[in-house]
Amino acid sequence: MGESNHSVKLHVGKFEPSQTMKTLAYAFLAIGLIGFVVGLLKNQDRMWPAYLTAFFFISMLGLGGLFWTVLQHIAKAGWSTSIRRLSEGMTSFIPYMVVGSLVLLAGLKHLYPWARPEEVAANPLLQHKAAYLNTGFLIVRLLVFGLGIWLFGRAIVGNSLKQDANGDESLTHKNLALSVPYVLFFALSFSLFSVDLIMSLLPLWYSTIFGIYCFSGMFQSSLAFLILLMIYMKRSGFISGYYTIDHIHDVAKFMKGFTVFWAYIAFSQFILIWYANIPEETEYYIMRSQNGWTAISVSLLIFKFIVPFLALLPRGAKRSESHLILVSCLILVMQYLDVFWMVMPNFNENHFTFGFYEIALLLGFIGLFMMAMMKFFQKHSLVAIKDPRLHEALHHHVTY
Amino acid sequence: MAKFKKGIAGIFLTEEQVVKAAHKTREMGFTKFEALSPYPIHGMEEACGIKRSWIPYVTFIAGLTGMTAGLLFTWWTSAVNWTLNIGGKPFWSLPAFIPIIFELTILFAALSSVAAMLYACGIPKVSPPIIDKDITSHKFAVFIPHDDTGYDEKKVEDLMKSLGAAEVKKAEF
Repeated sequence: MGESNHSVKLHVGKFEPSQTMKTLAYAFLAIGLIGFVVGLLKNQDRMWPAYLTAFFFISMLGLGGLFWTVLQHIAKAGWSTSIRRLSEGMTSFIPYMVVGSLVLLAGLKHLYPWARPEEVAANPLLQHKAAYLNTGFLIVRLLVFGLGIWLFGRAIVGNSLKQDANGDESLTHKNLALSVPYVLFFALSFSLFSVDLIMSLLPLWYSTIFGIYCFSGMFQSSLAFLILLMIYMKRSGFISGYYTIDHIHDVAKFMKGFTVFWAYIAFSQFILIWYANIPEETEYYIMRSQNGWTAISVSLLIFKFIVPFLALLPRGAKRSESHLILVSCLILVMQYLDVFWMVMPNFNENHFTFGFYEIALLLGFIGLFMMAMMKFFQKHSLVAIKDPRLHEALHHHVTY
Repeated sequence: MAKFKKGIAGIFLTEEQVVKAAHKTREMGFTKFEALSPYPIHGMEEACGIKRSWIPYVTFIAGLTGMTAGLLFTWWTSAVNWTLNIGGKPFWSLPAFIPIIFELTILFAALSSVAAMLYACGIPKVSPPIIDKDITSHKFAVFIPHDDTGYDEKKVEDLMKSLGAAEVKKAEF
């Protein structure tokens, strides 16, 4: 437990995905493509919401990986150096996210009322909002967001990869200098990204905390994914000695913290709208508190906050891999459900459907995410092997 | 003050020595000894055999108490004792009271934790005896009280010396 890691043999192997995993990734991707094409030909009104849900859910994991990485640079964290490459691997989805957001443009008319000229013509309020909510400006925003995140990510992760080869310490300082402006850029552009893609599905409704709500779910779920990734890499023997249960314990503390943060933000959004009781604001919650949606709203409270919170409260729970696998999976499932809950009631107020399109598109994006990460980890070392702070991570252990 | 115990202290100059000394002292069967250091040392808990703190349980129970208190208090004031119609909402409107319940949970949990911590550490300690003033800056010590199992002045002094203590002296702590 508190034994120092000196005696543990350090080993980092070459990552080679198993055949099953490759097959799965390709199969998922194929299913996703089939779903996409079939939907495009037969039922665009069903397919695009499913696409948006799955796209947003998986993009959050990529963005969360980058956010975690820059957070470590900004805090000059030593303990997390040995796991930073894993979160850097999650960012390999970002180029696909940029492409994916542009693909979304093909379905604008099926998703957003403000993109349908006849609806805008009939609604003076939408005409007032057209200065912001119009296709041309949306494309500009998506490009600025996507390319900005991609370039920052490429530079920050690239510096870390360069350091693997030459051990140059100045790269660590450069990453700090890049990370600070990145966080500012991310805060602003991510808020607009979530407003554009999700909030504007209901163009007359607004919530000023919406961007933070999406952020909280993003960070919570990407921490859950990071824990799964750490446990997977450790169990399959690619890495040993570089990180221990102490590191997993600390990431699990983060996950517990951001579980509470999500609940805090979700409640803050809810209570102001509930208290003020203004029709243009309550619309969002009214749609989600009737028909089948009540059950999902309540299950978010229970399974995205109460259950994970209590399940992560004891110290032993955060130090048990099998327990963490269960909780992390629950959080990921609930994050998908959360995005589903934000997107779908705008299309099906009366009931909810979870069918072929939703499953196919979700699997498709999971397949894409898996492929991106497998490629990344095959190409690069699994540990930032020459990071000047690596020795701190090797001596990391959690006291009581 | 009489509540301080007499015993023998070994003064050590390095962190490694004091961890090793604490470990060895525990292996020798002593249970009431103390290790002193100017700063926290990794691995010291295990070396001294310190068990997990019971303070988190206090925090949890106090938090639950605070939550219950908040729940009952808001219910009793708003729905029983002094009902007010606010915006046409039901007297007993849980969402409106969550912030108060939350704050009381945190307040109870935080204050109780601090109180429990002070109690567990025996703070405030009025003018405790000083073993060596350098323990607050750059030296370390292991102190074995006279009532510990198997205490024998000669034996303890030899043990401390064999562990590399720079100085062994009778002390109070």
